[in-house]
Amino acid sequence: MTRKLFISLTAGLVLALGTAAIAQDAAPMDADAAMADAMAADADVAESRNEFRQLDQDVQSLKKEVLDLNRDLFLLEEELLFPANSQVAFFISMDVGEYFGLDSVSLKIDGKEVANYLYTEREVGALLRGGVQRVHMANLKTGDHELVAIFTGKGPHTRDYRRGATMNFNKGIGAKYLELEITDRVQKQQPEFVIKEWE
Amino acid sequence: MKIRNVAIGLVFSVFAASSLASSGLAGQPAPDFALKSSSGENLRLSEYRGDVVMINFWATWCGPCRQEMPLLDELYSRYQRVGFSLLGVNIDDDSRRAMDMINELGVSFPVLFDASKEVSRLYKVDAMPVTVIVDREGNVRHIHQGYKPGYEQKYLDEIRSLLRE
Repeated sequence: MTRKLFISLTAGLVLALGTAAIAQDAAPMDADAAMADAMAADADVAESRNEFRQLDQDVQSLKKEVLDLNRDLFLLEEELLFPANSQVAFFISMDVGEYFGLDSVSLKIDGKEVANYLYTEREVGALLRGGVQRVHMANLKTGDHELVAIFTGKGPHTRDYRRGATMNFNKGIGAKYLELEITDRVQKQQPEFVIKEWE
Repeated sequence: MKIRNVAIGLVFSVFAASSLASSGLAGQPAPDFALKSSSGENLRLSEYRGDVVMINFWATWCGPCRQEMPLLDELYSRYQRVGFSLLGVNIDDDSRRAMDMINELGVSFPVLFDASKEVSRLYKVDAMPVTVIVDREGNVRHIHQGYKPGYEQKYLDEIRSLLRE
């Protein structure tokens, strides 16, 4: 009986030790595989991260190029359509206005009508109070041009009045501003129409 | 049945498209203009900002215009003191004929002469008369093409509603 117990205990011990030994051998093998897997995964992540970074850089540089191109196009368009150098602006001003009640102004540049403005009572009042109105803005190429301004309204003794003023001007480089001034010539009791350039 | 429905839908869409084309200005800022008036002074639409403004395009050769103008004059006389203005825009080539008709009908609202048709083009006038109602902010709110008896009631309702805004 005692012998049987001893044999069974020994067998159990041997079995337990064997299992432990097998388990001890298996453990390092699983850890190595997991580590290898993890390293491979890390490498994949790093690689895809690099790819993303590269892609992001490409997108950013493309975006910058598009922005640069957009800016260049905008500047080019502005230079072509509204070049500051070709700008000419025409202003109207009135001083006193005792001998002339302004009704309308018509502007011709090089024989072509470019503006025709009809004044209301309030607008004339604003001009008489010192207002200056920009009546027209144009783009003109450099060189000589002719401006003809035709003023209509009521002259002395409220008679219908129509007068023209002509000016030849040279458009150089840079913007140009011309003022059409209506003043009273007291000596002659007549209105006077003067075109002058702003310096 | 399906074909019938499609046909009805098409007819409705064509109607909708045509009415949209004619009232394309509705909801938009009213294009500004200045014209010489029957009293000799120049009038500019933008100077009426703050008033409800009715712009009535008419011509001496247009029968419904002749019918409508005295009714518009009544509206003008009634609501002028509470911020309503009416500008009649005559599109005849010869303003003398228009003056004769104004005197004959005895209308009191200002009539402007658009002999060059510039303003008519601005407002895409393709019928006669055309009545445009502009709100206090200067936006086109209603457009009526032509005139039929009873339209004056519509005008009245629209003007009263805009005056209350």
